[in-house]
Amino acid sequence: MQFDWSVILEALPQLLKGAQLTLTIAVIGLGIGFLIGCVAGLMRAYGNSIISLVAFAYIELIRGTPIIVQVMFIYFALPLVADIRIDPVTAAITSITINSGAYTAEIVRGALLSIHPGLREAGLSLGLPAWKVLTYVTGPLAFRRMIPALGNQFIISLKDTSVFIVIGVGELTRQGQEVMATNFRAVEIWSAVAILYFIMTTVLASVLRGIEKRMRIL
Amino acid sequence: MSIIEFKNVTKRFGSVTILDGVDLAVEPGEKIVLIGPSGSGKSTLLRCINGLEKIQGGDLIVDGRSITEGGSNIRLIRQEAGMVFQQFNLFPQMTALENVAFGPRRVRGSSLAEARDQANELLARVGLAERASHYPSELSGGQQQRVAIARALAVRPKVMLFDEPTSALDPELRHEVLQVMQSLAEEGMTMIVVTHEIGFARQVGTRLIFMENGHISVDGNPQEMLANTDNPRLRDFLRHVVP
Ligand SMILES: Nc1ncnc2c1ncn2[C@@H]1O[C@H](COP(=O)(O)OP(=O)(O)OP(=O)(O)O)[C@@H](O)[C@H]1O
Ligand SMILES: [Mg+2]
Repeated sequence: MQFDWSVILEALPQLLKGAQLTLTIAVIGLGIGFLIGCVAGLMRAYGNSIISLVAFAYIELIRGTPIIVQVMFIYFALPLVADIRIDPVTAAITSITINSGAYTAEIVRGALLSIHPGLREAGLSLGLPAWKVLTYVTGPLAFRRMIPALGNQFIISLKDTSVFIVIGVGELTRQGQEVMATNFRAVEIWSAVAILYFIMTTVLASVLRGIEKRMRIL
Repeated sequence: MSIIEFKNVTKRFGSVTILDGVDLAVEPGEKIVLIGPSGSGKSTLLRCINGLEKIQGGDLIVDGRSITEGGSNIRLIRQEAGMVFQQFNLFPQMTALENVAFGPRRVRGSSLAEARDQANELLARVGLAERASHYPSELSGGQQQRVAIARALAVRPKVMLFDEPTSALDPELRHEVLQVMQSLAEEGMTMIVVTHEIGFARQVGTRLIFMENGHISVDGNPQEMLANTDNPRLRDFLRHVVP
């Protein structure tokens, strides 16, 4: 068979539109997910037994179920059980947020616990409140250690957005599927879709690597 | 008035009693050297003073404040009682200067310029003016410990607590740290030092305390105690630590 470049050129605007939505969902979801992950990770690392248990329940519930089931629940079941009706894109962003938040929480907890407790004690011993020790001493050290694992999680979440095809979100995979349905050029279209995902994940990973290099922490 | 006062202090980890009804009053200007077998509770006693460990019984007054009164009170006590650790615990992402300027900046709220000037001064005092821009990983153990002393001094404490400050150092690096501590003592700082350096106890100490099993079992003048003691366990202990 012939690889026809013009097919890709023709489909590119629609695919790029999909890629843009994929990126939007991923960036917003990961951004909020990171904040949730930090809070839940702190609860796990430093909270008393009840606080820690709450975070633990959230993390285990999310990690123990597939993301496709989570988004189905949010989009189809939530309107029935709680009368909460949201559009597909909001459901998608919510799914990525709570999903990546749970995985990030474990990354945050692990990084915080890997910091030598003596550094925290040294900070406290100067008379600093615990939150300042976290902000200026242990937090930055832990963050640097988190970066490789965060990069991994960001890539996974970005690719996870492809499951939102099931609730009709017009992200990249969905756009590829639609173009395919009209011209039947599977090789060209799925190659193009794969390359677009690859570019996005590579850029995301190298941004994080850049941050890691710029943070002069040992 | 005593600057530190232990009143029948009890400290437990779970069901294990580590400090068993300790009474101790420290007067301003005293240089107390704390010795005792491993596990006797020396570190724990020190860590109770600045609230790194909570006490379960009795009361502990530092500079007129009770450590049992939590929250901001504990932070004020910590500003008056500087701590130096066996493992230095310098902040690895900060230079020597930033480590020393950190306390004044974030605790006392000094301006950047003011904190840096003071930090430079303190680094010079511990003989490290040239190393101000080095990171901890670029310093020897002895240098790191001197930076750690400067960092604690930067908050202007009234008392300095040292927990085996030279134990992690090679023998040839110990004297530079001990020298800094000695000059600090000569300037009149109140100090409590957990150490096995008997020479330091003899030369600098004004008071020697021997701890056993969470008790203070001997408390007296260093020269007298080291020359002859009627406590057989102290005599035995000294035979083992003095080379
Ligand atoms: N966080 C903790 N949890 C449980 N037990 C502890 C804890 N910290 C110390 N202990 C116990 O308390 C006892 C006294 O410890 P401490 O560190 O005060 O002794 P030390 O006199 O400083 O000994 P060393 O000379 O070895 O430093 C030891 O038996 C130790 O195992
Ligand atoms: Mg100890």
